[in-house]
Amino acid sequence: MAIETANPADAIGAAATDWQGEGFHGARSKDHRWRRLLWSLIYPQRGQRILPTVPGTLLIAVALGIGMAAYNTASNILFITLSLLLACLVFSGVLSWFNVKRVTWRLRVTPPLRVGRDQAIMLELRNGKRVLPTYGLWFDFQATGLAKPVRQALATRLDPLGETRIEWTLRPEKRGVLAVELAAVGSLFPFGFLRKIIGSDLRREVLVWPAPVEYRRFPLVSWRQPGQGEQNATAGQGGDLLALRPYAQGDSQRSVHWKASARLRRLVVRQFATEMQAGFSLWVQTSAEVWTRPEQFELLCSFAATLAEDFFRAGRLTSVALNDGATYPVRSVRDLELFLDRIAEAALVDQSYQPSTSAGAGRRFNVLTFAPDGARGVIAYVDGKPAAAA
Amino acid sequence: MSMENRRPQLNLAELHQLKWLLGGMLAVISAWTVLYMEVDAWILLALVTVGAPVFIVKPWLAARVPRWAHRLAFPALVAIFTVDVATHLKEPLPSVIRLALMLLLYRVITPRKRRDDLQLIVMGLFLIVVGGVLSVSIVFAAQIVVFTAFALIFLLVITLVDAMEQGLPPTMAGDAAPGWMHASWRRLAGRLRECLDWRVAVLSVLLFAGVVGLSAVLFTAIPRFDLGNSLFLDGMISRKAKTGFSENIQFGDVVDIQQDTSVALSVDVSDRTQVPSELYWRMLVLDEYTKGSFGMSAVLKRSMDSLSAKAAQVQGDARLRANMPVWTFYMETGTSRFLPLLGGFNQITFDGQQDTAFSHELGLVMLRQTPAKMLAYKVEGMQTGATLRLPVEGGEAAANDPKRPVFTAIDGLKAGDNAQLTAWVAEIGAHPDNPAEFARRASAWLGGRHAYSLQSRIEPGEADPLVFWIGTKEPGHCELFAGAFTLLARAAGYPARVVLGFHGGSWNARSENLTVRNSNAHAWCEIFDRAAGVWVRVDPTLGSGVVVGPTTAPQGESAIARIRDDSWGARLESLRVFWYRRIVNFDQKSQVELARDAKKAVNERVRAFKKALRHRLAELRVWLASPWDVRRITGWAAAGLVAGGVVAGWRFYGRGSWRRWRGGKGRGNVDPVRREAGRWLRAMGDSGFKNPDVAEVRAELEKLRYGPAERWPEPRGVFRRAKKVLVKMKRRDGVFNH
Repeated sequence: MAIETANPADAIGAAATDWQGEGFHGARSKDHRWRRLLWSLIYPQRGQRILPTVPGTLLIAVALGIGMAAYNTASNILFITLSLLLACLVFSGVLSWFNVKRVTWRLRVTPPLRVGRDQAIMLELRNGKRVLPTYGLWFDFQATGLAKPVRQALATRLDPLGETRIEWTLRPEKRGVLAVELAAVGSLFPFGFLRKIIGSDLRREVLVWPAPVEYRRFPLVSWRQPGQGEQNATAGQGGDLLALRPYAQGDSQRSVHWKASARLRRLVVRQFATEMQAGFSLWVQTSAEVWTRPEQFELLCSFAATLAEDFFRAGRLTSVALNDGATYPVRSVRDLELFLDRIAEAALVDQSYQPSTSAGAGRRFNVLTFAPDGARGVIAYVDGKPAAAA
Repeated sequence: MSMENRRPQLNLAELHQLKWLLGGMLAVISAWTVLYMEVDAWILLALVTVGAPVFIVKPWLAARVPRWAHRLAFPALVAIFTVDVATHLKEPLPSVIRLALMLLLYRVITPRKRRDDLQLIVMGLFLIVVGGVLSVSIVFAAQIVVFTAFALIFLLVITLVDAMEQGLPPTMAGDAAPGWMHASWRRLAGRLRECLDWRVAVLSVLLFAGVVGLSAVLFTAIPRFDLGNSLFLDGMISRKAKTGFSENIQFGDVVDIQQDTSVALSVDVSDRTQVPSELYWRMLVLDEYTKGSFGMSAVLKRSMDSLSAKAAQVQGDARLRANMPVWTFYMETGTSRFLPLLGGFNQITFDGQQDTAFSHELGLVMLRQTPAKMLAYKVEGMQTGATLRLPVEGGEAAANDPKRPVFTAIDGLKAGDNAQLTAWVAEIGAHPDNPAEFARRASAWLGGRHAYSLQSRIEPGEADPLVFWIGTKEPGHCELFAGAFTLLARAAGYPARVVLGFHGGSWNARSENLTVRNSNAHAWCEIFDRAAGVWVRVDPTLGSGVVVGPTTAPQGESAIARIRDDSWGARLESLRVFWYRRIVNFDQKSQVELARDAKKAVNERVRAFKKALRHRLAELRVWLASPWDVRRITGWAAAGLVAGGVVAGWRFYGRGSWRRWRGGKGRGNVDPVRREAGRWLRAMGDSGFKNPDVAEVRAELEKLRYGPAERWPEPRGVFRRAKKVLVKMKRRDGVFNH
């Protein structure tokens, strides 16, 4: 199963195929459906259960009592009552089946999710029946870290051919991969005799970004300003047009100057003023030797994510790197989100820190690195000088 | 949660009001069972019947019941029940019924939670089932169906309320004095009308009819075993004969019974050609004349009681002859504990074991207790004539027993009254060995002196009232005629007795059975013919038609034609007979017969189908074998082409037109909004699926194009957004194209 990333288009595209429910059988033939139905009577599908409730148990007990009395006395009045009770049980089952028939649902989780922030998990419901509405369904949601499923109910009527949404507000407590699943769909409809539970394997895995943290910034006097002829790798989005420069990997297609490119027979992009400002490279190292305390490591992830967002917002984040991996330029929101995705999944590595040997990284200035600050804190350095602390 | 529903629906308060209303109605429906259970709980019934509507209309009254009353309620109920049971130890069932009524009343006048609603349903079901079992009345069938329908709606509303209350804070979920209690029923009715989808309502009614049908199928299909037990509830409650046909009957009681026009018994006859012209349903024989009235002597009572036995069958003295019909009696609740019979019989069969006493000498069958429910019994080999040949219990030795009942004694009359009787007998005059002749003369003599009337006046005085009446010209009723005749016959030396029961009846043309009403109650006499050794029926009442012995009136169809009843009342009555025949009396044998009939019917249908198929195939062979000339071939080819054309036309044009007609839109009359949405969708083409903005607008456009109009989003806004998205898409494509 694919993990939901922060790209909403991807999320929607993936979810569009994930309708489930009693009314969702894809393009199977009628014969297949009948076989499936008959087989399910003998061997119910996984998670599908029909259990009597307290009134249902009472009804069965009353029916048993009346049945015994009927046989003992040969009273047709009691046989009538018994047959009516049994017919009511069958009726209840039929209506319950009608209620969930052609009802489909899908789970929609819209990234990004952040630790400590409320997030709406959406369950979309469709009633494909033409005449009959649907009532009284409930949905058991489960997520990683939850002790027991959370139940959300369809409190109102879902009209024929109608749609509705059920929202569940979730507050993730840990970064990383969060599995959200619809554990079961149930109903007491129509008379509350039987608890019909439909198993569901509807599951989404989404990345939870670290929580934003507050930090202190230190005045930096030694930040290196870009020199004459140097440019920031980021294609600026604002400011005045300064010049044209050759196309570099990662430049937006929008910034390509097509006429100049045609004249010069190579791609040329517009260079804006923002590209001349000082940019920072962010390098996060997760060595297990350095980050011995888990909570401090979590703080590192949160701090790094927060700094990355803040610098990006200020247009001063040029590149990011995690451990001894490649350095990625950050030119768009998507680049930032990819970095946050990586931070969300960051784990302690056993290797001790090995400086990168890549030539590109060696030439870089204004590199933000992190180190523990006492037992709890984390401090960020720019080229070895303290820049901020959390 | 966001909803896109357009049709209104009941809110939580309205559902609570509906729940309250249905609970009250269920309580009233089930409490009315007491009406035909005849339990002494009239006050409680009145309280439920009055209290429930009051509290239904004004639910806020329930919130006014003080807390201490709730605390005291259950201890008080338990105390009352304990005292009630202790004082009625022999008949605990009425106490239980009263307890159920009290609980119903309590639940109706106090706010209910879910478990209280369930208790109300269980109590109601208990009352209805017990009432049905005790009475076997057809009212039970109607009541249980209505109760089930209301109970199912009630349970449905409970489920909806529970679903709606899930997730609500507890303060909203159940308060001591919630807002819904201030209900406006007119508004609720209006809201119900608004919210109800007629299609769903019709489907619900059909489904409920299916439930009733399924229960009927289950009823007939549930295997039956005859365990030979009797109903335990019968012993927990006792009944009194409602009609007064008991051994303690007094003069005038029969006239009282005649005022009641309800049905006393329905009788099926297996062979309608043997229905006699005169129907005298014997129930009681009165031998003793004391204090101006005939009654059953203590000797006779003791002799009946001593014959008591528990069995499912009673063997009679009559011989079973070929072609004798089987008579099936359905005696209504409380009619009597004496079984109505036309005469001697060969065998009586009950549904289960019955505690019965059979007097061979009197030809009477008596139950130990008045049946608490409708009693069904089959009589085989029943004699329907006007004479009864009855053996003497214990043979010759018993016949000479001075203690055995005699039918010639007139005790307690003064000498003057005796002399008066003797004088009247002399006036009537008869041969001592010809009781029939005496009977005719005495009947004529009485008819000459007295007219028939239900109202008769006997002056209180020292004289015997019956002798006094004979001496006057006062009109009289059947009891007076029968009593007077018996006195005269005994004074003349003939053994004679008064017989009580029913005379006549009607033939229900719908259900084809005899219906005897309480208004058919009658008193007549039997006089003993020593020479023939038989008791001869004498009906001295003026206007009764047949006076003595057998009648010359035709039996069978002619007799039926005289009493045929095809009125609306008879049609309704036929329902009751159907209920008794097909449902109450349904047993293992009926089940086998039903299965056999079903099999026979299926076999006949299959046979008929095979025959028709063979016939058609033979016709086809003949048709195929006939010469195929050019004209014939051309004709059939043309017919085939036309048929093919029709099919193709339907597939290419007709089907689409039909669907459009069903959708309410013609080809040239497509809704402009749908048309516009289609235009925008075409303009978007297949691109932009991954863009969430485009996907959203596309989904909205698809709703406008294909979705039901009542669930459309606002079309103008959608088209505006579509335009924006399309412009964006084109601009992006334009950048790449440059």
